Amino acid sequence: MSPKMKRTLVAWLLLSPLVVTTLFPFAVMLITALKPRTEVLTPSWVPSRLAWENFAEMWEATGFGRALGNSVYVALLSTLIAIAVSVPFAYALDRFRFAGRTVLHRFLLVTQMLSPIVLVIGLFRIAAAFGLVDSVNAVVLVYGAFNIAFTVWMLQSYFATIPKDLEEAAWLEGASRGRALLRVFLPLALPAITVTAIFSFINAWNEFVIALTMLRRQESYTLPIQIFSLVAGRYTVEWHHVMAASLVATIPVAIVFAWLQRYLVRGLGAGAVK
Amino acid sequence: MSRFSPLVPYALVLPGFLLAAFIVLWPLVQLGIISVSEVNRFGQLRGFAGLANFAAILADPEFTAALWRTLIWTVGIVFGALLLSFPVAMILHRDFYGRGLARVIIMLPWAISLTMTAIVWRWALNGESGMLNSALRALGVLDANVPWLAQATTAFPVQILIGILVTIPFTVTIFLGGLSAIPEELYEAATLEGATPFQAFREITLPLMRPFLNIAIVLNTIYVFNSFPIIWATTQGGPANSTDILVTYLYKLGFAYGKLGEASALSLVMFALLLLFTLVYVYLTTREDRHVA
Repeated sequence: MSPKMKRTLVAWLLLSPLVVTTLFPFAVMLITALKPRTEVLTPSWVPSRLAWENFAEMWEATGFGRALGNSVYVALLSTLIAIAVSVPFAYALDRFRFAGRTVLHRFLLVTQMLSPIVLVIGLFRIAAAFGLVDSVNAVVLVYGAFNIAFTVWMLQSYFATIPKDLEEAAWLEGASRGRALLRVFLPLALPAITVTAIFSFINAWNEFVIALTMLRRQESYTLPIQIFSLVAGRYTVEWHHVMAASLVATIPVAIVFAWLQRYLVRGLGAGAVK
Repeated sequence: MSRFSPLVPYALVLPGFLLAAFIVLWPLVQLGIISVSEVNRFGQLRGFAGLANFAAILADPEFTAALWRTLIWTVGIVFGALLLSFPVAMILHRDFYGRGLARVIIMLPWAISLTMTAIVWRWALNGESGMLNSALRALGVLDANVPWLAQATTAFPVQILIGILVTIPFTVTIFLGGLSAIPEELYEAATLEGATPFQAFREITLPLMRPFLNIAIVLNTIYVFNSFPIIWATTQGGPANSTDILVTYLYKLGFAYGKLGEASALSLVMFALLLLFTLVYVYLTTREDRHVA
């Protein structure tokens, strides 16, 4: 047996308990979502048939479409805001040496530490004072602001890998700094910006406590709150609908994440220690 | 560089700074005002209350219980995740068949919202209809169904285990970043000089991973301390408040019991604790900087 083959066996053997535990909830989600209504409460692992109609039923019964629309709107818009302010922010932190740079780093750190939950009462009070309870746009603004620390962090660690020489060469040829930024730097930074934007999108997509507090009427619920409302404080829970909804809300994001997770190793690994 | 105004970096930073400051500092000011005010159920301020809200919090046995539980919760998850993530990262760092797949599977919980994860576990752990009980019974581990989340003795440990599971991806990610920063030549040199793998691990891997270990501990402490959805979506702090940690207790105080003054005071106490963690983090990172320089 080749050494790599041996290493493979040992690696998978050692990882197997974790792999099984990680995949277990996905199996539960998938199997329950596909069980016929009458079998949901029987904890069997193999449904008698695959009840694909659960998904269509769930879509109607749970108001999935509206919540999906809200989630897409909130995640997309808050990501655009976070990226729009973070790209110049990260560029300045990486390419300029200026007084207050360290203070800004510390400031970002503090915003990162202060999770929304600690501020939620203050935020709610402000929203109430301006009549913004139930306003999806207020949630957009809060998500955007809370994502800034993460996006600046990721972007800066990638910007540091883009050589300065290219921009400097453009200046020597008479390009203004702004022009060099647009024509030379941004095209090179685009992959990093895209990856960061996707992670910011996922953060907003998955957020719970702000949405739970600020969004009080069903019309403005995002997906996590909509699905939570199907479970919390109910006598009968339609678990096959809940699992089908979780699956549909989860799978697209999980696929994109699986595809991009290696960028996190680089971005966070470098950013965390700097 | 001289042809650029020194104000350029400030202009670039300004919009992001203003937005973040606005969303973070303003609520903080609000919390400060509410915490020293008398507040009625409808959130109207009824005058200055001094430190009465803080005193009420500290005198509340629920607070002490939640604080104590938060300590167990945070230490349990942070060190549980650390102990599991280090070997996992070491395994994933070396090449083997299917490594890409293994990485994707282990990172997967990170992609899923904690709310969904918690809801799925709530269903899987259901006493009568849960698939965990049926799986464990089929394997002969259990004789009778266990109502995992409905009894105080099992609910909190199970929540900690879920917490560990969802903390592993981030921790492994930090460690993988650290491992890939260790130059391969160090190990080659050590092998040439006759070092055993264990010696190489103790003398090379561990010391060079120290900064990454420290950072994983501090960042995870902050995230776990703040973590709300796992407990809220599985038990909402029940049965009988037996799984409340500070964040869920805070949420109940503010939005279920309508004690906004006390909830604001508690927020500030938690803010102070978080600031302490942050200072430790800043201290650790700047100390590492000096080491490198």
